[in-house]
Amino acid sequence: MVTPGATEDRRGLQIRLVMIRVVTSIGFLALAISFWVLQVFEHDKYKEMADNNHLRTIPLRAPRGVLFDRDGRVLVENRYSFTIAIIRERSANVNAAVKRLAAAVGADEALLQEVMARHKRDPLFAPIPIIEHASFPQVAAVRARGLELPEVVVQQVPTRAYPPGGFAAHLFGYVSEIQEAQLDRPEFAGAASGAIVGQAGLEKVYNTKLMGTDGDQLVVVNSVGREIDKIGEEPPVEGQRMQLTIDADLQHALEEAFHAGNMAGSAVFMNPKTGEILAMTSQPAYDPNDFATGIDRGTWAKLNNDPLLPLQDRLIQGKYQPGSTFKVVVTTAALSEGLITPDFKVTCPGYATFYGHTFQCDKHEAHGTLDLRHAIAESCNVYFYTVGNLLKIDQIHEYAEKLGLTGKTGIDLPNESESLVPSTEWKMRTTGEKWYPGETISVAIGQGQVTVTPISLATMITTVANGGTVVVPHVVRAVDDGTGWKMLEPPQPRSVFQFRPDVLQVLRDGLWNAVNGTGTAGRARIEGRDVAGKTGTAQVISKEGRAAAAASGKGLDLRDNSWFEFFAPVGDAEISGVVFVEHGGYGAASAVPIAKYMLMTYFAKKDGQPMPTLESAGITVPKPPVSTVTVAPGRSGGPR
Amino acid sequence: MIVDRRLLPHLDLRLIAAVLGLTFIGLATIYSVTWDFRTHRPGGEFWTQVYALPIGLVAATVCLLVDYRSLTQKSLLIYVALVLALVYVSFFGVVRGGARRWIPPLLGFSLQPSEFARITVALVLAMFYGERQRSAATMGALIAGGLILSVPFLLIAKQPDLGTAATLLPVFLGVAYVAGMRVRWLVIAAIAVALLSPVIWQYGMKDYQKQRIETFVNPTKDPRGAGYQQIQAKVTVGSGGLAGKGFMQGTQGGYGFLPVAHNDFVFSVLAEEHGFVGVLVTLALYLFVIMRSLDAAKLARDRVGAFLVVAIISGFAFQVLYNITMSAGLAPVKGLTLPLMSYGGSSLVATLAGFGLILNVRMRRFTN
Repeated sequence: MVTPGATEDRRGLQIRLVMIRVVTSIGFLALAISFWVLQVFEHDKYKEMADNNHLRTIPLRAPRGVLFDRDGRVLVENRYSFTIAIIRERSANVNAAVKRLAAAVGADEALLQEVMARHKRDPLFAPIPIIEHASFPQVAAVRARGLELPEVVVQQVPTRAYPPGGFAAHLFGYVSEIQEAQLDRPEFAGAASGAIVGQAGLEKVYNTKLMGTDGDQLVVVNSVGREIDKIGEEPPVEGQRMQLTIDADLQHALEEAFHAGNMAGSAVFMNPKTGEILAMTSQPAYDPNDFATGIDRGTWAKLNNDPLLPLQDRLIQGKYQPGSTFKVVVTTAALSEGLITPDFKVTCPGYATFYGHTFQCDKHEAHGTLDLRHAIAESCNVYFYTVGNLLKIDQIHEYAEKLGLTGKTGIDLPNESESLVPSTEWKMRTTGEKWYPGETISVAIGQGQVTVTPISLATMITTVANGGTVVVPHVVRAVDDGTGWKMLEPPQPRSVFQFRPDVLQVLRDGLWNAVNGTGTAGRARIEGRDVAGKTGTAQVISKEGRAAAAASGKGLDLRDNSWFEFFAPVGDAEISGVVFVEHGGYGAASAVPIAKYMLMTYFAKKDGQPMPTLESAGITVPKPPVSTVTVAPGRSGGPR
Repeated sequence: MIVDRRLLPHLDLRLIAAVLGLTFIGLATIYSVTWDFRTHRPGGEFWTQVYALPIGLVAATVCLLVDYRSLTQKSLLIYVALVLALVYVSFFGVVRGGARRWIPPLLGFSLQPSEFARITVALVLAMFYGERQRSAATMGALIAGGLILSVPFLLIAKQPDLGTAATLLPVFLGVAYVAGMRVRWLVIAAIAVALLSPVIWQYGMKDYQKQRIETFVNPTKDPRGAGYQQIQAKVTVGSGGLAGKGFMQGTQGGYGFLPVAHNDFVFSVLAEEHGFVGVLVTLALYLFVIMRSLDAAKLARDRVGAFLVVAIISGFAFQVLYNITMSAGLAPVKGLTLPLMSYGGSSLVATLAGFGLILNVRMRRFTN
């Protein structure tokens, strides 16, 4: 039963059904196009976003290069320290987590919250190192509470391990996290924010070599940050290993000697033929391990406010008047310029007057009449005032420069100070005044305006020891960049001074006499070793100033600084150096025994003899030594 | 129940194949996305879905075997049962995720009656308009249909489940359209809604609903909150590329960056793992299902049958289009599942039952 109306109605229905098909098809076509845009056209963008979601790059810190001594013994290595970190992404309530963590490890919650606040802007998935260098009990406490502290992770971080007790602290320097301002500096090229870099000493100078290359790990994480899979790892490349010129035995002996007398000062022992430094120290020192584990504010303030300046490397940064050790320069100048002969004689009445000013001799009773060799040995000031009066200041400057005493020595350690031996040009440039000849008299005995670093004085005496070569002191002997040890070329000498043989002979005779004859350095005498040397005693304050300071009652240490420069054996020197003791009084009293002990140690080791005792060198030992070298058993490296 | 053997050759096997194909694609995607990397097992949602499949097939068979006309004749009864169930749920229902939608578990399953509202409304509306001449051409008939719709609509919207309630609208509009509703009215209604939208925005919408729309317009405004799903949906789909990351290789869904990936965003995961190719295949299957169903409407022996098919397939098509658009981050996020593929036992059973009815109409096109 089909009515006409129903037929018409049926046609209308069919048309409307077609319309539904059309509209639906358009919808599906639009969807297909949309998916094409997202999945094909914009795929790269979303692929990257998806990867950023589930792939995490975890940096793996490279251990720094191990440092060995010249015998291949480990001096500085790396240990693994534990860092307790919080991953905020994993935590429902970070504050509560920090509270639980503080309770678990027995830490001050306020301090931990402070750390968290500092890292507020870090990404949520990044572990925030909340307790660095955690102790074993702390790590154990965290690991035992893994379920209560799901957001807390323990990371192993390679950390610099220095010998204890500040051993060779100024040589090694220390490391710490790179500062914002250092990121652009060329010596820290390649170091990213948060990197551990050398901030002093060798660690700074050789930072690029020692630092190594951090690696990373690519892991898959889920939306709550849990690691699901590790899909790639670029292992870290350990920093280059370095063999130093240092001899750990000598280094130990040197520090032992300083500690025995609880003395401040510095010393260096080197091979005069090459400039290799065998031992060097600056006392008092600091413990580089304090920096490696992130120095706390208290320790840092204490180091900075200590009047004895433990952070300063006195050897290369301290500038002092050299006292009588400077007479070597004056002698060289006067002889080389032909102003005197070795037989030039002066009669010492215990004082002398120049330009209306009376200058005292060191020895208040008169030396009597002396020639040059005896004047050096007995360190007669009146003799050298007289010689200095013959010299012009520019001549003294010239020979100081030729012997390597001026400017920087070029040692491969940072922030070296420039030694100053005055000249007319220098005075005009710095003060605008001309040089007065009267000023030369003080300079002739190493007082007045001459200020030098111990390392430059050591370079000067080394020039005498080796017959004229101004070597560049250095501390690195060989480097292993991962392809085997390579000896480094010793640095080219700064210059070579053509000593007149007779001048050199007179100098060496005088210096030998000072030790082996009737001279001031008799305590350094070692049978059969032909030690040559010169003591120095430099006033730190004038006599008037001393009286005023004593009246002030501040208890300042105003005793003279004590020097000893030396080399041995005199004819063909194999060791040379300088010992400087701050406020050590007469050079002969404090500096000389240290040098003697070192020389005895050096020769004993060389000949395979038993090592000397401190007492045998004339050093009294009030208490057991505080420093010991720890040498990892069975580990060694470096070319022999 | 006995069925005339002569009807069986008219069973639309291609439609059955496409519907089952989509169901299996859905199962595989749920399997992949709920896979637990620690226990190396698919999640419980997968098994729920697996158990729902035979139940759905039984429901579909029942809907197929009974003559659809006897169902439409009894549709008011079914309608009353549905309303009672919805009322029951609004008082005693189980609350999950802040919405009271489920009848408490019986034999291990909890039932979501709102999922059956579409079929019920389709049956009632097919009966209502199909039995009259020039049915929906008058305003009165249109309003009467709207009233039939509004009772379950309001009950479901109150749960609250505005998404599921909204799927009733295309059911109504679809039937009304083929039943002769003037297109003019539809246009007027659309203009009225557009003009009233500021008023609706101000007084008719809850804050979270406003936020959803704001977030859709500018998802970066709240990238960790409401905008997160939308951004991640795009990332999920876009990162799939042309060929996809591979089965079980999806990172966005599998590692939990895309929330409710097994449910509302199941298509995003499919797009991620099987790429644009997988998307095209799946879209083609859905389009085929819709077109094949519209064939059934065209071939139906009477208006009731045609309207029933249109009612069911309109709701289905709307939900498919909206969900897939949303799964690509191109529509505001709304709790709307993808029929046949999304996780949800009641939804699967109800959808399969709907296709039982569509097959029913086509199978009985020559009977009197």
